[in-house]
Amino acid sequence: MANEANVIKAEATSPEPATAIAQTRVAEDWLAVWIGLLVFALSLALLFGADLLGWAITTSIWTMPSKALAPASKLYSKVPSLLSLVATYLFLLGILLAAAKALRANLWRFAQGFTAVFILSYACWFLGSWAYIAATPDKRPALKIAWSLSLTNESGFIIALIVGLLIGNFLPGIARAIKEAIRPELYIKTAIVILGGFLGIVALEQRQLATSVIFRGICAIIEAYLIYWPIVYFISRRYFGFSREWAAPLASGISVCGVSAAIATGGAIRARPIVPIMVSSLVVVFAVIELMVLPFAAQHYLSGQPMVAAAWMGLAVKTDGAAVASGAITDSLLRAKALAVSGIAFQPGWILGVTTTVKVFIDVFIGVWAFILAWIWSAKIERREGDRVRPVEIWQRFPKFILGYVATFLLVLAIGIATPGLVPKIKAAMAQANVFRSIFFLMTFFAIGVMSNFRRLWQEGFAKLAAVYVLCLFGYIIWVGLLISWLFFHGVFPPIVKG
Amino acid sequence: MSEPRMTEELDRMKSEYEPLLPVERKLVWYTFGTGVVLLAIFVLISRALS
Repeated sequence: MANEANVIKAEATSPEPATAIAQTRVAEDWLAVWIGLLVFALSLALLFGADLLGWAITTSIWTMPSKALAPASKLYSKVPSLLSLVATYLFLLGILLAAAKALRANLWRFAQGFTAVFILSYACWFLGSWAYIAATPDKRPALKIAWSLSLTNESGFIIALIVGLLIGNFLPGIARAIKEAIRPELYIKTAIVILGGFLGIVALEQRQLATSVIFRGICAIIEAYLIYWPIVYFISRRYFGFSREWAAPLASGISVCGVSAAIATGGAIRARPIVPIMVSSLVVVFAVIELMVLPFAAQHYLSGQPMVAAAWMGLAVKTDGAAVASGAITDSLLRAKALAVSGIAFQPGWILGVTTTVKVFIDVFIGVWAFILAWIWSAKIERREGDRVRPVEIWQRFPKFILGYVATFLLVLAIGIATPGLVPKIKAAMAQANVFRSIFFLMTFFAIGVMSNFRRLWQEGFAKLAAVYVLCLFGYIIWVGLLISWLFFHGVFPPIVKG
Repeated sequence: MSEPRMTEELDRMKSEYEPLLPVERKLVWYTFGTGVVLLAIFVLISRALS
């Protein structure tokens, strides 16, 4: 998203805007794969007795700030927490600077921006882990507190989002100063690659359920394309009078996968670059609204059907970052409520896993959908001499970071199946990798907030676009997404933690 | 990014409305119809598997 925003600016002057967009997106996708795989590989060194990431900083739920921070591994328990925090920052700065160099970003500005992003994001995480905000009822006695908001430490994500929104909307000077490091797409894609390994462990423990979830996820997303898109396109064209050039990216942006789909569709039908860009601005703003509303709505109304809530987040919340982030919050909120109300402790990760599975499959099909639209437009709607759509375009539009996600997921699964004795060590390794996944998530929330400029909604001409968006998203997509999630995931539950 | 003059663009869309082509109607309703049929099939399969 930020990447797209940066590309958007560049393309106004670039002679080949579509090429620039495609190249930057592919580069960022591959970088996310390499960064994610690096963290994953370093964590797996535990299998060979080398604890290479145990120094990374973790934050537990705290009442005394001085006891909140600690290194991830007991091997490094004597390392001062401040040193662990600085080491984590320097490690991330190093690998992200390499990524920034590959993206031809201004390295000095990136380093400055990233420093601010890391400090502010982690401060939000720290605040969100305060016992009075985070502790669930079962933890209050141990923490010696009488009350808490029970928001779990994932509330740090929401705080990061709010701080980001405040900066993006009220402190434009700061937002401009750190914009080089505002790259939520890079952060979330890296987090998703790392998440693959974590979900591999989750799936390893419940293989039958995992297979069933993947099948249902595939079913649900095919439906999302076929049922969402045509209706949104029809409403935009028939009732709002949008031209084909506007209606197709708008339909993809609202119904499929936000920014990526809008840009892929814009390219497929040869829309002017400004069209998917304007749609993308709306997508980002409304994704933030969904992110702040839907997980809490799910906690209130769907606590008895956690997997329905999980799939709903994947189908209804647009943009990868906001959808997976919503899954993470829903995971925490629903597990906390199930524990508080029914005394049931669901295994962590399953709700997030379903959201991610649904979202990843949606991403996989963006290329196919763009190819189909490109063929229809070039062959039937806007026929031009010499127009040919090549199947290789499916690969060109394929979001490459998904390869990293699938690789980490399958590798963990394969090692676990081949050598069951290694499972405890793999679990410990993925727990270490998960520390970085959480930090990438956190920076995604913050970055989404910074780049979500709500004032754009009031700008000239946005009302009509926003009207279609509001009508289709809140009047159709959300409810159909809920229905489809209910049909496929009703009665499916995460495993319960034993003991 | 330079702000687009969207009002002009939207006004022009109103005055130069592109009517829905038959192929667009086909795209919309065939896609939707396929979606509904597949929905029923997939629901039956997922029920059978569970």
